[in-house]
Amino acid sequence: MGAGDEPVDRAPAVRPFLVTAGRVAGADADPGATPPMPVETQLVATAAGLERLDLMSFERHDIVAACRRPQSVAEIAAILRLHLNVVRVLAEDLAAGGHLSVYVPSADIARDVSVLRRVIDGLRTIPGSRGTVRDSD
Amino acid sequence: MVSAPSPAPGGQSVTATEAPGRAAPPLPVKMVVAGGFGVGKTTAVGAISEIRPLTTEAAITEVAAGVDDLSHTPHKTTTTVAMDFGCLTIDDGLKLYLFGTPGQERFGFMWDDLVQGALGGLVIVDTRRLDDCYAAVDYFEHRGIPFAVAVNAFDGHVEHTLDEVRWALDVAESVPVITFDARERGSVRDALLVVLDVALTRAGG
Repeated sequence: MGAGDEPVDRAPAVRPFLVTAGRVAGADADPGATPPMPVETQLVATAAGLERLDLMSFERHDIVAACRRPQSVAEIAAILRLHLNVVRVLAEDLAAGGHLSVYVPSADIARDVSVLRRVIDGLRTIPGSRGTVRDSD
Repeated sequence: MVSAPSPAPGGQSVTATEAPGRAAPPLPVKMVVAGGFGVGKTTAVGAISEIRPLTTEAAITEVAAGVDDLSHTPHKTTTTVAMDFGCLTIDDGLKLYLFGTPGQERFGFMWDDLVQGALGGLVIVDTRRLDDCYAAVDYFEHRGIPFAVAVNAFDGHVEHTLDEVRWALDVAESVPVITFDARERGSVRDALLVVLDVALTRAGG
């Protein structure tokens, strides 16, 4: 029926950035632009987002649904099999629409002594064999 | 762009049109585990992660400092590579993500997309294929990111002494060179602690 010229046995491949209407984030974006949201950025669905879940389509629906509990950008990309930059763009959209809270870690957290100490203390509580690491000095 | 630099209490900036009424997420921090193919990155991440390592694709910029490039401008292309990662709850409000990223390419890679904000890096080395880790070492040095070199003792011994590895990699004295076992949780923990010790010293702690 209809045009009928298209092969019907092959689903059209959806290119990754179609869902973001051609916008890109991250390494593909302008080099001078604001750095992309870090891959560990936390995403949490808002109450409004969950309320309107049924009205959302496809990836947007899946992202908000997956963020009932806090998830990182990287986890969402892995779980939903989306490109990292697609998640970044959609997360911005969803945040602008009030459906998602986006928690971007501050850029200088890596030099925060109190944070470093907490990570060190936390790691030290992990059980495991000792003495397997030795320094060359 | 959402990542407005406005600092907020708790080290995060929030973007939403309403106050986040739901569970506040942990403050996320990350470390990068780099090294050549098959060197044990995913093994190390999986040994200490509380979830089974997940895989996603990261965009990295390949810098070809080509000999035929007379303009002295590095030619950059963006490549997508698979990246395995895991995570670990540090305390109620802090979650550590560990990202394993390939670094065996003969050209330099720029992992800016992945590495921005990382507490530090662990470069895993197989002494039989030392050159697989040059790109990662160069990158961390160039970007001033605290890192350590960890020789993965696959079968309990390494083919070169740590001094030989240090000499071959030509890393600064301040960069620890250690052996570890990527399969052992405690060993991976200790290797990460070595990196964090460098980070803490660097941060003035």
